[in-house]
Amino acid sequence: MKISKQARRDAKALFLSCRANGVLDEAKVRDVVQRIVAAKPRGYLGVLSHFQRLVKLYIDQRTARVESASPVSPVEQSELSDSLTRRYGPGLNISFIHNPAMIGGLRIKVGSDVIDGTVQGRLQALAESF
Amino acid sequence: MNTILQEIESQISGVKAAAAKQNVGVVREIYDGVAKIEGLTDCMANEMIDFGNGITGQALNLEETEVGAIILGEFSKVKEGQEVRTTGRLLSVPVGKALLGRVVNALGAPIDGKGPIKESAFYPVEKIAPGIIKRKSVSQPVQTGIMAIDAMIPIGRGQRELIIGDRSTGKTTIGIDTMINQARMNKAAETAGDKDYRPLYSIYVAIGQKQSNIARVVAELEKAGAMPYTIILAAAASDSATNQYLAPFAGAAMGEWFMDNGMDALIIYDDLSKHAVAYRQVSLVLKRPSGREAFPGDVFYLHSRLLERSARVGEKYGNGSLTGLPIIETQAGDVSAYIPTNVISITDGQIYLETDLFYQGVRPAISVGLSVSRVGSAAQIKAIKQVAGRLKGDLAQFRELAAFAQFGSDLDAKTQAMLERGKRIVEVFKQQQYDPIPVEIQAAALWAVQNNFMDDVPVEKIKDFQAKLTEFMTTRKQDLLAKLGKEKAVSDAIAADLKAAVSEFKQTYK
Repeated sequence: MKISKQARRDAKALFLSCRANGVLDEAKVRDVVQRIVAAKPRGYLGVLSHFQRLVKLYIDQRTARVESASPVSPVEQSELSDSLTRRYGPGLNISFIHNPAMIGGLRIKVGSDVIDGTVQGRLQALAESF
Repeated sequence: MNTILQEIESQISGVKAAAAKQNVGVVREIYDGVAKIEGLTDCMANEMIDFGNGITGQALNLEETEVGAIILGEFSKVKEGQEVRTTGRLLSVPVGKALLGRVVNALGAPIDGKGPIKESAFYPVEKIAPGIIKRKSVSQPVQTGIMAIDAMIPIGRGQRELIIGDRSTGKTTIGIDTMINQARMNKAAETAGDKDYRPLYSIYVAIGQKQSNIARVVAELEKAGAMPYTIILAAAASDSATNQYLAPFAGAAMGEWFMDNGMDALIIYDDLSKHAVAYRQVSLVLKRPSGREAFPGDVFYLHSRLLERSARVGEKYGNGSLTGLPIIETQAGDVSAYIPTNVISITDGQIYLETDLFYQGVRPAISVGLSVSRVGSAAQIKAIKQVAGRLKGDLAQFRELAAFAQFGSDLDAKTQAMLERGKRIVEVFKQQQYDPIPVEIQAAALWAVQNNFMDDVPVEKIKDFQAKLTEFMTTRKQDLLAKLGKEKAVSDAIAADLKAAVSEFKQTYK
């Protein structure tokens, strides 16, 4: 679907209005969507789909994924969460995943930043360097 | 075997340290050599992007939610949803003297089957041109070996001189002749052990041309023995538009290495019309807004930033130069089209080639009236200045009179003489392709015309006279030519010797 420039602008303005102190307010997002669906303004489908895309990108950027070869204890989890929040600000959605394929180490992905300290990653880098 | 173990160990230890932060993204769309990537929040403009499997890209569009990148190499292997990462590096190409004699692609990889190239360094493809402080005015000549150019539209080292004309008017030939002449002069200086002579290396960038054309140029240069002083950078018509877009910038980077290291280089962009078309294609698939003739808004900047990199720099900054000879193909002689006017306004002059002249047999078909060199006269050697000073004016007068002479036959003696002289000058400037003329022979021939030695030779025999005079001078008067080449000026003594030599020749000429 072709989204008009006006729709993009409107969606962006709505998205910005849903943010408070750099964190997206979920209640406001729901409210915005409900009101648009109810009022059906001109080009509302375009506005909504672009709005959805902006929210999706925001969530992607605020999602932290911690993969580890061995399970992470609750104490370590809270320590990791604290240090990630210090670095990337509040409102992070952190998930911990156990992945034995990594052999050893941690891989942390926050938004588009990746900190790879796994054995698997190093082996891959070594393979590429030859 | 020990060294192999050590190498592996060093590789492993190198990898061990690399647990650094990386910035990644996901390919969202891929089409026509262009990828749209989501993520990559830290990506910089023109940064290289690693697509894995040895495929790289270059970020051209940084948008609000995504990055538009061109893919260099085999884009069909890149898949939607694939993870890519930034590299923190700018796109670079290998540079150095090892590239001389080789044919490479837009990324500097050899395509001539002569094995790998041992580069001296890597230079970024996009680089800011030298600033005002670094520059020095143009004062040394580039001898093209084409009489009409060296005499009337001289080119200096560090100049940008546009070669413009319709299809098949001899644009590429001028470039090839110039490269052949440089090779001859470099070789002559090497064998003579001349330390003062600064060799001029050539770079030929073929953009969007037929492979057969590029092969012909290579063959011609090999035949003339010019390849050891030449780099050929080929982005043929079958290469992707992204490679065609990058090729001249890669060539400029190779030339800049010579400039930075105190050497002189000459770069021929053949041709920038096709380059603009390739850039238009890249821009359109990247969905950049289009302007006149669907070219993007920055097509002027594209060529101005490329040609600004041709310069002559001062002693403190390398003391080298990069001379640019861009080529533009016009459609039906229309120089007021978009790309031709842009490039004309950027360069320091143009050599305009005309179809009519070409078919009249005036080859090279240089239109003297429309061709100019804005800085080159400062670089002309004194000998040529002395003998060619009045030529442009004489030819202009000749053309004007020739137009009038068509209406009436009763002409006074002075007009008649001027017409006859003009016809002879036009004849003298005709020249075979791939056969550049050394500067001292040019000076001798022009001296003979200017001093009335050809006035009694029939116009149709001028070429024959000139050829035999050249033969006579090169076989019997070598000392005089050597003296002329060394002094680079027609002194009274040399003028007397020339007079004696040409008179002697005329007695035997039939």
